[in-house]
Amino acid sequence: MDKISVLVLAFTSIVIVNNLVLTKFLGICPYLGVSGRIDMAFGMGMAVTFVITLAGCLTWLIDHLILVPYGLEITRYVCYILVIAGAVQLVEMYLRKFFPPLYESFGIFLPLITTNCAILGLCLFLNVWNVDNFPLAAVLSFGAGIGFTLAICIMAGIREQLNFSDVPAALRGAPITLITAGIMTMAFMGFAGMIK
Amino acid sequence: MMILADIITLWNNSWPAGLTMFALAVAFSIILLVADKKLKVAVDPKIESIYQALPRIDCGTCGYAGCSSYAKAVAADPTLLGKCSPGGAGASQKIAEILNLKISSGGALKRPVIHCHSTKDNKTYFGNYAGIQSCTSANAIANVQACKFGCLGFGDCKAACKFNAIQMVNGLSTIDYNKCTGCGACVKACPRGIIEMVPFTQNKIMTVACRSQETGKDTKAFCKVGCIGCKLCTKQTDAFTVNNNLAKLDYARYEPSEQFKTAMEKCPTGVIVYRGKE
Repeated sequence: MDKISVLVLAFTSIVIVNNLVLTKFLGICPYLGVSGRIDMAFGMGMAVTFVITLAGCLTWLIDHLILVPYGLEITRYVCYILVIAGAVQLVEMYLRKFFPPLYESFGIFLPLITTNCAILGLCLFLNVWNVDNFPLAAVLSFGAGIGFTLAICIMAGIREQLNFSDVPAALRGAPITLITAGIMTMAFMGFAGMIK
Repeated sequence: MMILADIITLWNNSWPAGLTMFALAVAFSIILLVADKKLKVAVDPKIESIYQALPRIDCGTCGYAGCSSYAKAVAADPTLLGKCSPGGAGASQKIAEILNLKISSGGALKRPVIHCHSTKDNKTYFGNYAGIQSCTSANAIANVQACKFGCLGFGDCKAACKFNAIQMVNGLSTIDYNKCTGCGACVKACPRGIIEMVPFTQNKIMTVACRSQETGKDTKAFCKVGCIGCKLCTKQTDAFTVNNNLAKLDYARYEPSEQFKTAMEKCPTGVIVYRGKE
């Protein structure tokens, strides 16, 4: 029972309290780039969730089964990047085959998941936070993806509404988006410290 | 001996890391290879061959993200043919053959022209600019040089040119029209908007190499070779017009004739010049 509650707490923590986008400012590029429409934002969120879960689990396994026992931590970054790039390739092929319109609408942002710092950040955070069991690592990775999806979908929702609102000319486009992102971050700061 | 020992230590310490990386790389290659076979998408062979006919430099002049997206668009809508200026007529011809179309030859090739011909010695400066050596940074300072319109000479356009067609000659960018493909990257790079795409109806075209809209008096004070808006050229031929103290040539009406030659010779500051292949 205790274990389960730890997992649930970890999940809530990474989705809301320690949301990678809103509190660590990672993955801002797709967060602002693909949040024009909700369906695209959701698709992006799902793609990132898949990649981040796969990457988080695999890197944790590689780290704890190969790199740490044999003292090869020096290759950590390269291994992580390898895993992430491979996972992105998989997602790209999958989307191209089964969701061509989504694939088209992502454009350059799909291969750019490779360099999405939220993903590499999560893999490294698993290390920094000393996550020592696999279920926790898996839940944290999945939760980070869900957190990203949550953030990007809220942003897309707000931006869809913004299209119809009377924004001062100087703020139209990128400025109002950045201001919105700032306000959203401040709102999420309200959760800070609830769960460590 | 010391060096040898070091190399052996280095080798002993590094081969496990190398081996791990190699094993991981092989494992991932196999997974991706299998996935590639399983998830293969049939691409229209037409699109593929159109892509092969394009220059594949992804310059974006056509208005699409890259050559592959343009190939897709052209295959779907043949009216988009001829948007690829680096490929020129050759690429359009090939694409037309692939799509079974007949094309008539289009308008003149567009090539960039630099509307400034003031070298370092001809310009006036208020001080020495010692900041970041790029036109974009320098342009942020209002008084970086006396003329607000002239070439800054840090070579942003040279850096943007993938074909090595732009050289900086004495603080002025100079285009080598033998190398230029007309991709328009320099036009986007110039923060002062001095470079303009001009239809080259002839190999060598006449142009007003100045952008200064200051009054004649100010231009003269700032630059030895700027356009002072004296309207002498308009008296020779009405292909020249003067607006905001700046002469402009209607390129469509240019032809190598006596009138144009006289206009060029009569220009007191010599701002009317030939640009193009020698």
